[in-house]
Amino acid sequence: MSQAVSMQGVRKTFGSKVAVEGIDLSIPEGAIYGFIGPNGAGKTTTIRMIMSILFPDRGELSVLGKKSAVESKDRIGYLPEERGIYKKMKVGAFLMHMGRLKGLDRSGLKPRVMEWLDRVDLADVHKKKCEELSKGMQQKVQFIASVLHDPDLIILDEPFSGLDPVNMRLLRNLIDDENKRGKTVIFSTHVMHQAEQNCDHVVMIHQGKKVLDDTLDDIRKRFDPRALHVDPIGGVGRSHDVSVVPGVAHVTPIDGSLEVVLDEGIDPQQAMKSLLDAMPMNRVEIKRPTLEDVFIEIVTGGKRGADAEQLRAELLAGNTDDEEVES
Amino acid sequence: MNISKISRVAGREFASTAITKGFIIGALVLPAVIAAIMPLVILLTMSAQPPADTGTVYILDRSADVSETLVDRLAPEAVEARWKERFDDVKEFAKNAIPMADDQKDQIDQRIDQASKTIRYPEFRVIPAGPDASIEELKAEMQDQVASGAKGKGDLETILAIVDIDTDSTRKVNEEEGYGGFQVFLRPKLNDETVSEIKDGVRWSIRQRRYENAGINRTQVLEISDVDERASQEITEEGEKKASTGITTFIIPVVSMILLLIASMTGGQYLLTTTIEEKSNRVVEVLLSACSPMELMTGKIIGQMCVGLSLLIVYSWLGIFALFFMERMDLIDWTTIVLIFVFFILAYFMFASLMAAIGSAVNDMREAQSLMTPVIMMMMLPYFFFTPVIRAPNSMLSTITSFIPPISPFIMIMRVASNDPPPVWQTGLVILVNAVAVVVFLWFAAKVFRVGLLMFGKPPNLRTLIKWVRMA
Repeated sequence: MSQAVSMQGVRKTFGSKVAVEGIDLSIPEGAIYGFIGPNGAGKTTTIRMIMSILFPDRGELSVLGKKSAVESKDRIGYLPEERGIYKKMKVGAFLMHMGRLKGLDRSGLKPRVMEWLDRVDLADVHKKKCEELSKGMQQKVQFIASVLHDPDLIILDEPFSGLDPVNMRLLRNLIDDENKRGKTVIFSTHVMHQAEQNCDHVVMIHQGKKVLDDTLDDIRKRFDPRALHVDPIGGVGRSHDVSVVPGVAHVTPIDGSLEVVLDEGIDPQQAMKSLLDAMPMNRVEIKRPTLEDVFIEIVTGGKRGADAEQLRAELLAGNTDDEEVES
Repeated sequence: MNISKISRVAGREFASTAITKGFIIGALVLPAVIAAIMPLVILLTMSAQPPADTGTVYILDRSADVSETLVDRLAPEAVEARWKERFDDVKEFAKNAIPMADDQKDQIDQRIDQASKTIRYPEFRVIPAGPDASIEELKAEMQDQVASGAKGKGDLETILAIVDIDTDSTRKVNEEEGYGGFQVFLRPKLNDETVSEIKDGVRWSIRQRRYENAGINRTQVLEISDVDERASQEITEEGEKKASTGITTFIIPVVSMILLLIASMTGGQYLLTTTIEEKSNRVVEVLLSACSPMELMTGKIIGQMCVGLSLLIVYSWLGIFALFFMERMDLIDWTTIVLIFVFFILAYFMFASLMAAIGSAVNDMREAQSLMTPVIMMMMLPYFFFTPVIRAPNSMLSTITSFIPPISPFIMIMRVASNDPPPVWQTGLVILVNAVAVVVFLWFAAKVFRVGLLMFGKPPNLRTLIKWVRMA
């Protein structure tokens, strides 16, 4: 399968600040990729370079088989992180303008705009001025602007920020539909669980460097924490009893239950059995790694402690910000 | 560069600026309204005259020769007759000063007649003080009156002035010395017309008596001093032509220059606003995903050029219509009109480049102000130069300034429209120089535009701008 986007050793600096350092990337056509990483990691810079809005200082880049996106702009749909809209323009006129800028003919453009507005439940707004719409509605209009010309490559920078759960699901389904029609989708998010819900492949960026590039399944296998979550009857007070069970490396109380990390080479199934034999349990389950955990593990090199906790707090802070907007 | 994208951007730029109520009212309707209100304003100013002064003028005639003549001169009937005459002069002047059609002349006549009815002139009661009157007593009386607060308007008892005429004012006492003169003591806050009416009256009467005493016929003297001159004609290649009067030599170059300035400033200003707007509401990144920075900038500059151009077309047609109705189509020089358009394109491109660069570099209008100041000051320069340039269109100053972009088009249009236009090769060279300057300006703007559009945060100073130019 040919590559929608490929990058080799791409580097970009702003003055003395290195934004992106030596990124290699290869995104096959028809894939759905998630760029994840905390705020300021370099996701937007990477995306802007793919879009040829910024140009790398060093490295090779090709987009849809061309040396730069400039030559294939009309085949790319882009939703920037900073949402932009002509406030005084009517929604319909704005979308028509964007469509024509993207090289669409006037004929058949209007029905197309109306059809898309209908698909995102905004059928009646095309005569309203953009500034009259709510933030979420504006975002849906901007999403339409990025996919209206039926691009082969769709790049969405933080597409879910600012949407309520209903619209988030709507947008997720629209992205899935486009992907099923064979379109390549790249989106970035700093909210890791969104990537878990949407993509089959994840690229993690941290401090301008690519730290992970794998399918979600492989990541789960590779970063199996070899840990269990257990709720002994008697609560967290029994952590000492749990820690002496054979095969248990150490025990940490987390949110009213215990996280049990196993010794190297211990089969989790076997360990669950031993734990159940040792004492009565309300719950015993294998811990599934979240992308957050993976990220923290990569960044801290698997060490636990204050660094990891601070990082987790930072990531969660990012999430809460988002949820505030969502509510 | 993709032409259809550029024209798409230009189309939106033009439509969102020019096809709005604000623009149409501001740019087109407002000048028409001003032109309609103008005569009304003039009428109002004329009718807003303060009430005329009425009162007594004492004459202390030490020569015992002038007072009789002066009493006649300042008599109410005489004053009225002179004011009427003055209005007739104004009518005559108004009709000849500005070229216009006959029915317009009639209208101006009527307006001035109307205005003359509303204006009231001073009314005097002139009392020659007896031979033994004392100037000090008269002054004291006037001071008492002023102190007691008696009014100066509408009461003949009020003393307006005391005229003290010297003994030798009309007859020399000895041949070596000249004539004597006079002095006037005035009540405070009199109208200017009142004061000059009195002084002119005294002067006229003294002269009258001098002529008579010397046995010279005054009418004859006046006839001798008056030399009539008919309107001068210019002999041009096409034949005889009315010589350009002060008004045409002055007004046509200045109007051309201001027209040029308004058209290029308007387009440039709108370009600044829309660029800042697109940057601050972040629509710019969406646009950049559809077209390159160069296509965007070119489209925007062309779009606003059409805005400036439409202003220029409308205003120049208004001017041509006005001249047509004044039956002075001969004043229109088509070369000048064509050059206005050529110079507009050159001037606009330079100004617009600066505006695009500034607009892309800043985050909001307020930050733009500090970078705008030098540009605006530069655009003010043509105003400072217009008097010297029009007076001497081919002087060293005029020639040199007309070659310095970006003010060059504004100076050059004044020279071209003047009654002493520069040689054709200079016009050609100026166009060439400006065309080169336009390329340089656009190159600079393109560099700044490309970097500036996606830069948010601290507004740049000149040094950062230069760094961006090197960067891009």
